[in-house]
Amino acid sequence: MIQFNGVNKWFGKLHVLKDIDLQVAAGEVVVICGPSGSGKSTLIRCINRLEKFQKGELFVDGTPLHDHSTNLTKLRAEIGFVFQQFHLYPHMTALQNVILAPINVRKLKRAEAEELGREKLARVGLADKADSHPSQLSGGQQQRVAIARGLAMAPKIMLFDEPTSALDPEMIGEVLDVMVKLTSEGMTMCVVTHEMGFARQVAHRVIFMDEGRLVEAGNPHDFFDNPQTDRAAQFISKILTH
Amino acid sequence: MMLFYFQRLIEILPFFLKGLWMTVAVSGISLVLGTIFGLVLGILRTSNNKILVGLIGTYVALIRGTPFVVQIFIVFFILPEWGIQLDAFPAAILALSNLGTAFICEIVAGGIKAVPKGQWEAATSSGLTLFQQLRHVIVPQSMQTILPPLVGQYVLLIKDSSVVSVIGVVELTRVGWVTVVRIPEGLMVFSLVGILYFVISYPLIRLSNRLEEKMATQKVML
Repeated sequence: MIQFNGVNKWFGKLHVLKDIDLQVAAGEVVVICGPSGSGKSTLIRCINRLEKFQKGELFVDGTPLHDHSTNLTKLRAEIGFVFQQFHLYPHMTALQNVILAPINVRKLKRAEAEELGREKLARVGLADKADSHPSQLSGGQQQRVAIARGLAMAPKIMLFDEPTSALDPEMIGEVLDVMVKLTSEGMTMCVVTHEMGFARQVAHRVIFMDEGRLVEAGNPHDFFDNPQTDRAAQFISKILTH
Repeated sequence: MMLFYFQRLIEILPFFLKGLWMTVAVSGISLVLGTIFGLVLGILRTSNNKILVGLIGTYVALIRGTPFVVQIFIVFFILPEWGIQLDAFPAAILALSNLGTAFICEIVAGGIKAVPKGQWEAATSSGLTLFQQLRHVIVPQSMQTILPPLVGQYVLLIKDSSVVSVIGVVELTRVGWVTVVRIPEGLMVFSLVGILYFVISYPLIRLSNRLEEKMATQKVML
């Protein structure tokens, strides 16, 4: 589903992704972790080309992202993206947030889209918040609306960029629950997170990044209990004591 | 004496109302055109095309950095030398809407830049085209920042329309000049001119203030 071949990215002189080779199969759940500045967010932002990269190849659902003639708009419609800061549209209700892209991109009729939108909001447990504006919702609720917004496009891949890092501790659970449910439905997911419980419970693979390199990859139990590199071991001990 | 003044006022008032109408027409048409072109240029000014952004920046700086009276002389007296002969009215519209475009372009660009980058990213990620992103996500949010100064700009535009009197458009200020040559009550004549400008400007000033308050409370809500 996703294939990185020797991807390199620079921000000016800063080399943020170094020779990334990575494959994610359809239906696979991959958790990406690493210290801040390690390039993990940049990595998943490359998958829907929110970030450009300068060298290497990246195929997403068979589409070459390194090719400048690729229709990115079309590709992005197939990839849901959930941000750390939610980025809901503040001037719209929760339902309007969810149905904006289905109406404009999928060309659904308004009634169809609203039905779809309400169904997705119900799926994240917010059926009763359809008419609320983001400012009236808690952080956890906003993030669940953001997930519903992604799901409404029936994406092939869902990307999560630290989806719980901006939340108060008591709201993290409700967002993770929604994500766990998604994994059980066979969604292909790449999740940048430090939520070890989530990684252990549902990830097929954990990837550890440091200084722009993909340092270690393995199944969550091996990775957390028996890391192969010192950097990973250090990192794990830090987030465990945290 | 008062009666005499009053009679004079009644005599000249129809002429003044015609002038007022011309002022409303010139500034009204110009502010509609200026808003349309300013919106388009303002959006383009925030694009990633460096050449385009540079060109628009230069244009805006030139228009903002030269006196309006000079611009209108160029439109009316210099353009004919290059074969573009305009009557006073279209020349006034061209010059004033051009002025409006330059200022409104900056207001719009500022409003669009004030929309957080995450909004662009969310809209981009959901597969919306650039035009859809602007129409549904970016422009509606930037209106909060744009509207109060935009209405304020309309007030300035209405007042700047007085300058088109120099090329003979018989609007309010011109009416004042013409009248004061015939009758000696200069204070009365130009007080009337001022009052009539104020009558159309003041509601807009109020509107601008109201919008500013309303937008401020909305921002707190967001």
